[in-house]
Amino acid sequence: MEKTNSTSAQNKLRVERSLRVFAGVVIGVFLLWRMYNVLAVEQNFGADTWVRFGLSGLILGGMYALIAIGYTLVYGIMFMINFAHGEVMMLGAFGGFFTFEALRFLPAPSATNPGLNFLNAHPFISIGLAFAVGIFISAVSGYFLEKIAYRPLRKAPRLILLITAIGASIFLQNFAMLMFGPQRKNVINPDILDRSAGWTLIVSDKAVLIPYTGIFSLALSAFLMIGLYVLVQRTKLGRAMRSVAQDKNTAALMGVDVDDVISKTFIISGALAGAAGVMWGIHMGLVNHYTGFLPGIKAFTAAVMGGIGNIPGAMLGGMALGVIEAIGPAALGIDFQLKDVIAFSILVLVLIVRPSGILGEKLSEEKL
Amino acid sequence: MRTSAINNGLRSGVIFGVIIAAMFLIGFTVTGAGLIGKIFGVSSSYSAPAPAFFAIFIILISAWAGASAAPRPIAEADTLRQALSGGLIAGVVSGLFAAVLGLIFGGLLANQIDPRAYLPAVSPDSIKMFLLNQSSLMGSVLLFALIAASVSASAGLAFFLRNSGWVENKSKQTFNALSGILPAERAASLSRNPYARYAFWALSAAALIILPRAWGGYWNYVLGTVGIYIILGLGLNIITGWAGQLVIGYVAFFAIGAYTFALLTAPEPHHLMWNFWIALALGTLTAGIAGLLIGLPILNLRGDYLAIVTLGFAEIIRILLKSDLLTEFTTGPRGIRDIAGPTLFGQSFVSDVDFMYLIIIAVFIVTFAAYRLQNSRTGKAWFAINLDETVARATGINAFVSKLLALTLSAAIAGLAGALYASRNQFTGPDDHVLMVSVNVLCLVIVGGIGNIPGIFLGAFALKGLPEVLRETENYRLLIFGALLVVMMRLRPEGFLPARRPALENRDAPSPSGKEA
Repeated sequence: MEKTNSTSAQNKLRVERSLRVFAGVVIGVFLLWRMYNVLAVEQNFGADTWVRFGLSGLILGGMYALIAIGYTLVYGIMFMINFAHGEVMMLGAFGGFFTFEALRFLPAPSATNPGLNFLNAHPFISIGLAFAVGIFISAVSGYFLEKIAYRPLRKAPRLILLITAIGASIFLQNFAMLMFGPQRKNVINPDILDRSAGWTLIVSDKAVLIPYTGIFSLALSAFLMIGLYVLVQRTKLGRAMRSVAQDKNTAALMGVDVDDVISKTFIISGALAGAAGVMWGIHMGLVNHYTGFLPGIKAFTAAVMGGIGNIPGAMLGGMALGVIEAIGPAALGIDFQLKDVIAFSILVLVLIVRPSGILGEKLSEEKL
Repeated sequence: MRTSAINNGLRSGVIFGVIIAAMFLIGFTVTGAGLIGKIFGVSSSYSAPAPAFFAIFIILISAWAGASAAPRPIAEADTLRQALSGGLIAGVVSGLFAAVLGLIFGGLLANQIDPRAYLPAVSPDSIKMFLLNQSSLMGSVLLFALIAASVSASAGLAFFLRNSGWVENKSKQTFNALSGILPAERAASLSRNPYARYAFWALSAAALIILPRAWGGYWNYVLGTVGIYIILGLGLNIITGWAGQLVIGYVAFFAIGAYTFALLTAPEPHHLMWNFWIALALGTLTAGIAGLLIGLPILNLRGDYLAIVTLGFAEIIRILLKSDLLTEFTTGPRGIRDIAGPTLFGQSFVSDVDFMYLIIIAVFIVTFAAYRLQNSRTGKAWFAINLDETVARATGINAFVSKLLALTLSAAIAGLAGALYASRNQFTGPDDHVLMVSVNVLCLVIVGGIGNIPGIFLGAFALKGLPEVLRETENYRLLIFGALLVVMMRLRPEGFLPARRPALENRDAPSPSGKEA
């Protein structure tokens, strides 16, 4: 009796999986056909454009990856979608913006230039300070978010946690709007990070500009990702985090302070989101209360794409999503207004075709 | 014991100080003082409210802070002196926060620096009011004294009242007095008496028929909106309250209903001009089909994904409606105008009173359907899935099909609400379908009482009706909703009018722990 039941369940799973694969193949063939049309038949864009799109996608992807790691870390440990994570990133972006503004008004006259401000007199210190402030603000808000909103609900059903997270997200977003005003703010960089300056790459006799801000962001996000990987794999805290992710009760029995580990996880993911937020301000040049919302959802998409709970998956997913989003509209021949639609469609597609993500192991139903 | 009182005071002081600072920075101090002024009958829509009202506002908040800073009289060792010292510490700390804030912004004001470039809510008027119309030093000292005194006084008072049992006695007295007016037994016997029930229904029906004619266009508009949100709430309640699957992008189905209806009945862009009722049915149907299609791939995954996917879906719909891609088909960001109203036997009903009747009828039908669903076999399957999906499956419920049905019904009801909304406003555009609508609906379902039909009525009136009355708080509505979601989940996750079913089931079921219970 038991055996027949399990085989019928397995059959059902097999049918479902083949349906998913079939849907994936159909969609994939359609997309390839569409791309073939655009690339080979219409040929609207030259190679230089594709390189430019690809590079800007990588830069964007670096930021998505940093935010996605935060989703994955928290999901891995608490099995909850920290919906307010995008807002944590937005607060970090504001931290960077205000640091730049404050330093811009701080005079630091030199012998040659009496009108010089601190921002341009000491650009490296300024950038360092902006990141320090942004990361600090985000880490602190991540910590208090967990402490105030999530900790009292540790044993509550998931629905309740998710609703709390959404409430926190709405609250933070509107608080930022009421405090800083709804209009977008221009982030004025130090001169060495001028957005129109950069390396020039020659692709098929045409110049492709890679702005310094982009190179800087990409390098910094790669550095932070490596740092995080080392932290999770090599340190005692990392081991504690992995053990809590595996099994909270057993970890507690082995002497791991679960509450402390969860707090630190929120601090780490907040810090990464803060770094991404400051980068966002430096590279994109505009910050407002809505800055965190779309990147937050897209980073969640990236985390699902890579396999939620899986740190290398989040990095890979973030990079992949950035590139797809940058190349996608051109490659599929659709309007650039619709680039946000692509990210959401990918989320739906991933969930239809492979819910466990690219690198995701076969999660039990409990986790999925 | 003593250190705990001090720690408690310190903590409350910091929290309260941060709250005051945050309120000042988002300009809520002005709004709050304005509300107090309104109670005293002084309108302050053109100028900042008088500092006296601000002082009352601060004292009221201080009283709340003091009450929460005072230790609960659990331990015998807590004395009034400890409560007072805890309250004093809380007051001093939070007063310091306010004073420092006052000094900083008072200094800025004195040096003619306008902070509004970075903090738009902090106007010179609001700074002056915050400093009680004094100089920055004097005002800060006064504010400090005011907060410190009222927090510590209210802490002492709260401790005294709690310790002497006055609160309990008073609440018991109030309860007795209230139940004296309408004793529970008499109420129960009244509700069992068929004639009383008929009389109640007849009275309600008469009120609903007469009132829309009596209370004028403004109230018809406000209460019509409340009615549409009741329909939306009842719809979302099916999938979120009963089946336990969170849907954040509920507005997507609202938009689909509204746009289907609008495209079928409006002269532009397609000049279809279909009949109102057919278009209404088709709007409902299309939204339901959209729900079905969204649910098919997602619903056998875990619940959280449904939330995000519907959110993504809602954003896709909004972006598409705004984009150039669909401009020819849906008129893009301009929206669709001159949407038809209902016609019956060749007569057209488009006045606000007619729409109020239509909405009342729709609310009635949806409520009736919701009650029938709640007590049906399907409804019971939803409750079972919500409680424990694995166990529900083991008892032979096809969880996937049940959830899919719930989502389809939810979406269809949202489509109905969207069509009604578009028809009443004679307009629909992408800006009618922002995520805020979903947040409103989710919030009213949760605050009213998740899974409980009367709770949803209460939630809709409280969250859509009340803000219309308190117009000053309009800007803070979403902020308050966000905070409300967090606070409700922590303190009362079942809502203000909780569903009765879990309690009933717990009573009927034999206690699992046997005789120990």
